Amino acid sequence: MRLKDQDFLSGLMFLLFGAAALITIYFYDKLSMGTAQRPGTGVLPAILAWCLIGTGVVLMGKTVVATSEPLAGWAWRPLLAVTAATIAFGLFIDDLGLILTMIISLTLCAAGTPETKWFEYTVFLAIMIAGGVGTFIWLLGMPIPIWPTRIPSFLSFILR
Amino acid sequence: MDVFSNLALGFSVALSLQNLFWCFMGAFIGTAIGVLPGVGPVATMALLLPVTYFLTPEGALIMLAGIYYGAQYGGSTTAILVNLPGEASSVVTALDGYAMARQGRAGPALAIAAIGSFIAGTFATFLIVLAAPPLTKLAQQFAPADYFSLMVLGLVLAVVMASGSILKAVGMIFLGMLLGLVGTDVNTGNTRFTFGVSDLFDGIGFVIVAMGVFGIAEIIKNLGDTTRRDLLSSKIEGLMPTREDLKRSAMPILRGTILGSLLGILPGGGAVLASFSSYSLEKKLSATPEMFGKGMIEGVAGPESANNAAAQTSFIPMLTLGIPANAVMAMMIGGMMIHGIVPGPQVMEQKPGLFWGMIVSMWIGNAMLVILNLPLIGMWVKMLLVPYRLLSIAILFFCAIGVYSLNNLHTEVYFMAMFGVLGYVFIKLGCEPAPLLLGYLLGPLMEVYMRRAMLLSRGDPFIFFQRPLSLAFLTIAVLVLIFIMLPNFRKARETAFQE
Repeated sequence: MRLKDQDFLSGLMFLLFGAAALITIYFYDKLSMGTAQRPGTGVLPAILAWCLIGTGVVLMGKTVVATSEPLAGWAWRPLLAVTAATIAFGLFIDDLGLILTMIISLTLCAAGTPETKWFEYTVFLAIMIAGGVGTFIWLLGMPIPIWPTRIPSFLSFILR
Repeated sequence: MDVFSNLALGFSVALSLQNLFWCFMGAFIGTAIGVLPGVGPVATMALLLPVTYFLTPEGALIMLAGIYYGAQYGGSTTAILVNLPGEASSVVTALDGYAMARQGRAGPALAIAAIGSFIAGTFATFLIVLAAPPLTKLAQQFAPADYFSLMVLGLVLAVVMASGSILKAVGMIFLGMLLGLVGTDVNTGNTRFTFGVSDLFDGIGFVIVAMGVFGIAEIIKNLGDTTRRDLLSSKIEGLMPTREDLKRSAMPILRGTILGSLLGILPGGGAVLASFSSYSLEKKLSATPEMFGKGMIEGVAGPESANNAAAQTSFIPMLTLGIPANAVMAMMIGGMMIHGIVPGPQVMEQKPGLFWGMIVSMWIGNAMLVILNLPLIGMWVKMLLVPYRLLSIAILFFCAIGVYSLNNLHTEVYFMAMFGVLGYVFIKLGCEPAPLLLGYLLGPLMEVYMRRAMLLSRGDPFIFFQRPLSLAFLTIAVLVLIFIMLPNFRKARETAFQE
């Protein structure tokens, strides 16, 4: 048995999700189980949570007998960059307008790979911005400002 | 006569200028993403779901369908020309197709792939036309208990057909069902798993889960994948296959079409399984199996017909029963729900124009693809020159603005980022995300049917065994489960996926 086994870790993941769901059902949401005739809100979630725990335990148990493929290395750079790019888009889109948001978000994404050639990227970004504003704001009429309208609320306390 | 009036209605819808345009767009986009490795039909459909909100329901579904079968064509083009299967379903095509290309016979290989795909697509479309009305009639007699059991069977079959570990697929289904239950329970008004976040009261949007797990997660995976293959461009001389080629391809096309049509209907089946099965069938039937992989045209004709046939027939359970057989059909259901259409047997009666129009559009789209693909092959190959470092940026932008455009909620973009990370963890752990999506869609439905069945039976759980249809579905489900536990079958399944 190796703790880095894919099977062991996915079992652990299912187990944790199931346990978290059970705790939420019983202690946080306090869902009712109802009667057999009128099954309550908590019945199916509880069944599923127990099934998830069961699947996780079996998966983890299996690795005692037979090892599976080990976990390969994580691609930290793209993981962090792409996640940051997505979150940045959500953070800024309401206040900074499409153009500035795109510059911030897409540059973060481009930082995710060492293959980015920055001159090529700048040209590409300009095309994307033109296309993005044209398609989504002029053509589809989405209610997004083009230019910044106000300082993002989560930043304003710093500047005050 | 019914068939003809249905078809006439379908043609009248599909041939409207607007719908022809969306059919073309779908087929065109589908071919493009089929050519590009690293961008699959599921991710693309997820990306375009918010856009379909601006279209008519007919246009939306016609375009989404076009993306799926268009991708089958595009995937084979690059598989043959540059040994780079754009889609998983074209992996086997690359074996003999690329070998043919290296012998200077890329033209005939491409032509046979297109002809086979078209024949298969035509056959499968007619199969849908013939099979849909009786299946829909049957489905209308389903009681809640029957529906519940059918969904159990569907999920069990989806697990068996999943290519990876069975246990992981099971876990992903349970997890998906739990995710589907997040939000306010319609029966009681209680909220579940929302932690007081008001943006979760309506549940987690399908588009958010799909884009996170298939869009964002795949960008992360592909950017981290440092192995790149060099492009070899081979010259195409003469598209026309010889008479000998046509003669050798006829039977494989026929067999591939039938095999693919059957495998497409099964839940969890679809294009990938069909192309692999067809290749091994052709190899078994061939007089010279040792020649496979060295440029046998049968190895192109069979799988290419099979994957297209399966791509079409996998619409049957979705259209008639409202049950998604695979992740692509889950996207189609997502597209329907955006337009307020509840998938199920009632769609055919309430929206006959949509139903038949979509089916006919598939046939028209297939014809377009043959015309579109053969002369434009040079352009498609050029598209491979767009590097992934730029493609990834465009995909990320479309994901982000797509999710935001749904409700103008920036919190939903954060949820998508979360599912992106989760999706990457799934990839790393070798857990296929498709069963998660099926569970997500079926979980809430199963709860509704379970409650109705229990209410009708006054709390007697034996209702599921008393109705003959329900009992039959559950029996098959249990038999399948016992069957896959047998060591012999497990070995056979493993070798089938390795081939």
